[in-house]
Amino acid sequence: MFDGLIDGYTQSILIFAGINVIAAYSFFAPFKTGQVSIGQAGFMAVGAYASATLTQKFGIPFLIGLPVGALIAGVVGVVVGFPALRIKGIYLLLLTLGFSEIIQVVVLSWDYVGGAQGLRNIPFNAHTLDYVIVVIIVTITFFGRLERSSLGRAMDSIHQDETAAEVMGIDVVRLKLLAFGVGAMIAGLAGALYAHQATYIDSTTFNVMMSVEILTFVVVGGGSTFWGPAVGAAGLSLLPELLRSLRDWLELLPVEWTSFFPMNRIYDFLYRFLDFENAKRLIVYGIILIVMMIVRPDGLLTRDSVPHWRGARRKAMHA
Amino acid sequence: MIYQQLVNGLMLGASYALVAIGYTLIFGVLNLLYFAQGEVFMVGAFVGLYLVVGAGANIYGAILGAMVICGALGAVAVFVAVRPVAKDRPLAPLISTIGLTIILQNLAVYIFGGQQMAFPETMEQRLYRLGPVTVGSAQLFILTVAIALMVLLWLFIARTKLGRAIRATAENHETAALLGVDVDRVVLITFIIGSGIAGVAGVLDGIKNSNISPFMGLGAAVKGLIVMLLGGLGNVPGAMVAGLLLGMIEILSAAYIGTAERDLFSFLILILILLWRPTGLFGTRTVEQG
Amino acid sequence: MLEAMTRSACLSIEGLTKRFGGFFALNDLRMEVVKGDIHALIGPNGAGKTTFFNLLTGVFRPDAGRIVFEGQLMDDARPFRRTVKGIARTFQNIRLFPHLTVLQTVMIGAHCRSFPSVWKALGAAVLQPPFGEAEEERNMRGHALELLEFFGLADMRDLKASDLAYGDQRRLEMARALATGPRLLLLDEPAAGMNPHETQELDNIITGIRDRGVTIILVEHDMRLVMGISDRITVLNFGTRIADGEPQEIQRDLRVIEAYLGEDVLL
Repeated sequence: MFDGLIDGYTQSILIFAGINVIAAYSFFAPFKTGQVSIGQAGFMAVGAYASATLTQKFGIPFLIGLPVGALIAGVVGVVVGFPALRIKGIYLLLLTLGFSEIIQVVVLSWDYVGGAQGLRNIPFNAHTLDYVIVVIIVTITFFGRLERSSLGRAMDSIHQDETAAEVMGIDVVRLKLLAFGVGAMIAGLAGALYAHQATYIDSTTFNVMMSVEILTFVVVGGGSTFWGPAVGAAGLSLLPELLRSLRDWLELLPVEWTSFFPMNRIYDFLYRFLDFENAKRLIVYGIILIVMMIVRPDGLLTRDSVPHWRGARRKAMHA
Repeated sequence: MIYQQLVNGLMLGASYALVAIGYTLIFGVLNLLYFAQGEVFMVGAFVGLYLVVGAGANIYGAILGAMVICGALGAVAVFVAVRPVAKDRPLAPLISTIGLTIILQNLAVYIFGGQQMAFPETMEQRLYRLGPVTVGSAQLFILTVAIALMVLLWLFIARTKLGRAIRATAENHETAALLGVDVDRVVLITFIIGSGIAGVAGVLDGIKNSNISPFMGLGAAVKGLIVMLLGGLGNVPGAMVAGLLLGMIEILSAAYIGTAERDLFSFLILILILLWRPTGLFGTRTVEQG
Repeated sequence: MLEAMTRSACLSIEGLTKRFGGFFALNDLRMEVVKGDIHALIGPNGAGKTTFFNLLTGVFRPDAGRIVFEGQLMDDARPFRRTVKGIARTFQNIRLFPHLTVLQTVMIGAHCRSFPSVWKALGAAVLQPPFGEAEEERNMRGHALELLEFFGLADMRDLKASDLAYGDQRRLEMARALATGPRLLLLDEPAAGMNPHETQELDNIITGIRDRGVTIILVEHDMRLVMGISDRITVLNFGTRIADGEPQEIQRDLRVIEAYLGEDVLL
């Protein structure tokens, strides 16, 4: 749809940023019931490999392979969700980590899906950006609706005090499983989209660091409102590109401004630092994470910072 | 043949144990998963490399240097990523240590490039025969240093006043403070010790594998976590034993089943322990962490 | 005797036993709660009263004995099912949801009535109108507001639960429990930390709840409240029932007085 308007490179950036947004919501879903998972990359892998295999080896069209991959990931999510019910905190972190690692090992030793060589020549889809946008819109709408609903409230209550919620009649087990499964399904969707955009995946693609980054998207963006994950994911994904553009703007500064000390030193430093190189950008990324946690540990968007139009509306209706 | 594998297993296990010690110490006193421990391990290896290649140090100097610099890194971590961050939001300190992880890893990539680098020979290769086993001097050195370090640490924690202070803080911050312990200082020291030991482990790993890479931290981090759980959260001797155990299990399963499966075993063990005995093989703490 | 035949049992407890290791928290308890009564459970600290509530709500499983509620055997493993069946409780140390508003807290209680099935709840979440409220949500909110009015918390409906004064938090706990639409309400030391004025208000609230058709089991240490409000009292000591009867009988019962000897309690 955007082929005329946006060039291929920018499309690619937007697609990967969009996939990050979707992945962020895959973390957000179980998080809403208090389950912190660093295994979402594992579910992404399940969705990616399922969808890629279906399209590549069975010639199934992308539009079917994608949701099937997501569904399979969702089922795996519910399966993993059962043992996850009984454990919390660091133990849950380790369980989800273990799951993600096991998936990696399985993929590595399963030659049918490429083994150590990985899965190549996954059919590329020219409309991926469109699909990504659609999925994002649907996802955000869903979570927005969830936040305003009794189900969303029930999930929040589980997050805040699981035992009290149970005693108040909330079916904690089913809701946690639902949240976990939905999260896995969304991750599967993100993974499948990734596979068809990158056209190559292997056992190292969906690793721990990816799960960890997804976690940071949500915490930085704000885990208590439904906009937080999108803001965090979009912001942090596009940050490297922003830094790169910053460098381009540096070049536009008039020479006179920067030819004397200390401006010339600062200019040189910034110019070299805002370089393309992945490593430097990631260092900035890491610094931003630390600074964010010191300055605003609740994330960019919190319940109080987002105007409660719902509350205002209620007051109006009640009056 | 099996004895050879056991030696390999012990070396691998010692590496895991040393990294896990830092994890479990820090978790014990702060209830924090210090994610950057793997990267500290990596930094140690590179410091060792630099000291040997760039500064012409011998292996002892390299180890000492790595220990000191990584210990200092631990202190920096406390001041930069731990103290300023609110503790009442459990995820915030985790994220800041993740930030530190990313910084350290990419700093290494930036300085050294993303490729593996050779770790130079630092000692005469001689073979020693100990009963049924033949051990190279490098292997003997690694095992000796590792075990010596673990014994020293165990003595330190069990016998010294500072060790008692650490144990008290791990039990309960308030009680420890009432007993006159400077909790902040104890936390700092714990980080320094844990990081220093991880640094040494990095150098030892470099000697063992003859090469290092900026990405060696992540694998060590994950295995270290498994060992920490296996030994019981906060249980330092537990981590030591569990590390050696896991190393041996991995080597034996690699030898008799297959190399790809060896990691699988470790993760399955992780899952089993989580579901059956989350307090670990030796743990006495039941951590109800939200 | 005619009276006994026309008043039905809401709750029947037989032989209820709970052990922790070698220690009997509750030993062979027999008790009957009549529908519409305010039934108090008293006893010195550690007598097993909170354990009893935990057994009733399904948080603990009994080692022996039966719980029969409205003629049905209560053996659900999951506490939430018992709440759906009509048993609700408050907690001794208040367990509110720290970041939810007062109104949202009470609406949580109503969730299980409006949405007995997870799928129904999901459907309602997805299908709600984009602006404004769905009908079910409106009903829940109306019901919740009515309860808040009853408890005098309506003005604070948008405040966070954790920002409330202690007395208000206690009342919020009760409102939340009442929102689940119970027929049996377990109140765990609702008067703890209250001054005489607040306790008098509590008296009115509890009788008001009873008048709405809810049977109440009250665990309390405040004897003036207990004696003044209860229809029947069961006394526990060391997990065993030592007396059961109307307030006047209990006040005169020597075993009860003996049990409380040394405790700072005025019977």
